[in-house]
Amino acid sequence: MKKKSLWLAFLLSIGLILILGACSGDSEEASGESDNKKEEDGVTTLRMTWWGSQSRHDQTQEIIKKFEEENPDIKIEPEFTGFDGYFEKMAASAAGNNLPDIMQQNFGEYLNQYADKELLADLTPFVEDGTIDVEGVSDTVMESGVKDGKILGIPTGTNALTAFYNKDMLSEAGIEDLDGEWTWEDYEEISTKIHEATGTFGARLMEPKNLFEYYLREQGYKLFNEDGTDLGYEDDQLLVDYFTRNKELVEAEVAPGYDTIQTIKGVEDELIVRGEAAFDFRWSNQATALDSAAGDKQIEMTLLPGENNDTGMYLKPAMLWSVSENSEHKEEAARFIDFFTNNIEVYKIAGSDRGVPIKEEIRNELSSELNDTDKKVYEYIELVTENSSPIDSNFPPQATEVLAALEEVDEMVIYGQLTPEEGAEMFREKATSILGR
Amino acid sequence: MLPEKEVKQTVPLESSQSKDKGKKPVRMFQPQKKKPKVKSDNQNFTGYMFISPFLIGLFALTLFPILYSLYLSFTDYDLMGTPNWIGMDNYVRMFTNDPTFWTSMKVTFFYAGVAVPFRLVFALLVALALNKIVEMAGLYRTLLYLPSVVGGSIAIAIMWRQLFGNEGAINSILAGLGLPTHPWLGDPDTAIWTLIILYGWQFGSSMLIFLAGLRNIPKTYYEASSVDGASPLRQFFIITLPLLTPVILFNTIMQVIQGFMAFTPSFVVTNGGPVNSTLLYVLYMYERAFEYFDMGYASAMAWVMLIIIAIFTALIFKSSEHWVHYEGDSK
Repeated sequence: MKKKSLWLAFLLSIGLILILGACSGDSEEASGESDNKKEEDGVTTLRMTWWGSQSRHDQTQEIIKKFEEENPDIKIEPEFTGFDGYFEKMAASAAGNNLPDIMQQNFGEYLNQYADKELLADLTPFVEDGTIDVEGVSDTVMESGVKDGKILGIPTGTNALTAFYNKDMLSEAGIEDLDGEWTWEDYEEISTKIHEATGTFGARLMEPKNLFEYYLREQGYKLFNEDGTDLGYEDDQLLVDYFTRNKELVEAEVAPGYDTIQTIKGVEDELIVRGEAAFDFRWSNQATALDSAAGDKQIEMTLLPGENNDTGMYLKPAMLWSVSENSEHKEEAARFIDFFTNNIEVYKIAGSDRGVPIKEEIRNELSSELNDTDKKVYEYIELVTENSSPIDSNFPPQATEVLAALEEVDEMVIYGQLTPEEGAEMFREKATSILGR
Repeated sequence: MLPEKEVKQTVPLESSQSKDKGKKPVRMFQPQKKKPKVKSDNQNFTGYMFISPFLIGLFALTLFPILYSLYLSFTDYDLMGTPNWIGMDNYVRMFTNDPTFWTSMKVTFFYAGVAVPFRLVFALLVALALNKIVEMAGLYRTLLYLPSVVGGSIAIAIMWRQLFGNEGAINSILAGLGLPTHPWLGDPDTAIWTLIILYGWQFGSSMLIFLAGLRNIPKTYYEASSVDGASPLRQFFIITLPLLTPVILFNTIMQVIQGFMAFTPSFVVTNGGPVNSTLLYVLYMYERAFEYFDMGYASAMAWVMLIIIAIFTALIFKSSEHWVHYEGDSK
């Protein structure tokens, strides 16, 4: 009797699951129908996702509103979060075959991973037939969105690593303005002088995620080898030097350790914004956020240090717009990307928050009405364009994990749990094991 | 024919009734004249219909994902592609080639090993105190239970981060008292303790269960023992504690399971840092699954944790024969 009832329960629930499944199938069809109906009415609904700060959320929604006004047949449903959690959420959507029509994508390991899984639509036909007008955009910029001969993303704008510095603090320490020609030794010396003169930190702690790669490039190496199967440098001394410099700065209290860094709540809360450090190395599109939070402090931008900083520096797409392979409205999505790339209103609303516009006409047209911060960013990007080398795109899909391992080892070195030598060795061990899987 | 049938039916009826009600003359009036078997099947069916929401939930939302994750643990599933069978590779890698796995294991054992007893002792002490309070007991009970109601939530974890931050309330108080301040969350040695204190502070549900247990201990024992001259402390050890052991057993098991599965505190308060000193097992599992898209490996980790928890629960149950005292036991 007991067995029988168990069986009954089992069969019953299976049956119910089937019924439910059938129901949901029905409703899917039904919703599909209603979508079609909507299309007959002439309105297509697109889903769109991005990450960013509150100001980007506001600006992007305004841009969407503008787009919808000009394209009454398309309605965009936005979904947005901070960067933390964005790609986790996208991964879950990808698993459910439910990626948004338009997604803000990141260059490097992220794009490569999505390309690898064939989750993104090839935009080549739309570029060719002019749905997305990218005429006049330089090839190096467009190439950053190309993988295996397919255009998988259109850059939202260009970006570059920047040495932000507080000019007032430099003059307080008796240092003349910087012109982008400076070595790592200069950087150390200036930071130390500022620390001695002002009593605050001279520089923010350098976090290795982007800066170690720059450090390697500056000396003619790459982080990963050509096919992304191993690290791109042989000599661990490079990393030892990198660690040692940071460690010395932290020990001399010229730069803060991770216990201070950890309490920073976002770009608006950075040490340089609060006047507690003179240097901060980060992406150029964060200038707006830094400047607006820093008030009347004079924040300037220059190239990162290093004798060969023109081989180290590179232009990077700030982000990319991608269309998912599972989208049923690829053309409409492409139209939005075209709007974002070519409509000057977009940049009047958002400034250089997603990088400097990739189209020259727009840059020229805007130059007369730029605010001070954006003018600085535009000029800086021009400076980088002249003093840079092409970006490396050989990031393997495991790059996220390798960089996480680098951050972990860096923390251990700065906390003094490992010597720089041990750290460099440990990182190679970890990276090789991750890449060798 | 009819009377015969009636007789047949009454026999089992009689016997079934005789079990619980004794021999009462209910036979006089027979309410059930149809075949009892059909009736009971019908009843079962109705019953299953009523609990079907639960059953569907159990099968579709619990059992299926559990078994599916077992399958995934033998694959290289990366959330986006199709899973490929790789046998025991994930398990082998976990035990031989992943130092971070062992770090998270150590952190979790330390966390559970300290935080669970801490919470239990704290809950018991508060329950004992509440048991003595007569006036406004409800108010105190509610106030003390409150941290647990909101306890699992993100809000409390965020508050914790503020409290122990470099410029947080704790450091402000210390500075106000002229004591040295400390980067509680930034120091790998102290960060885990902030999480342990957070866990201990959310003692509400264990406390309520302890309190219910305490209320169940007959007052007469205490009266009798105080007549015999037993001190309150002695009363606690010879009466309260032994009679409370079944409740302690229950609470221990629940809390051990919860302790091993803790996620929110380290995710929100410290995000595993500094230097992985608060990287709880489940947080690492989450990182593997959703940051490194290593769902197969994460599924394998989930099964290892299941086995660990099962072993601990079994050990606690086994040991309970020696220390849990059930009233009415002749032992």
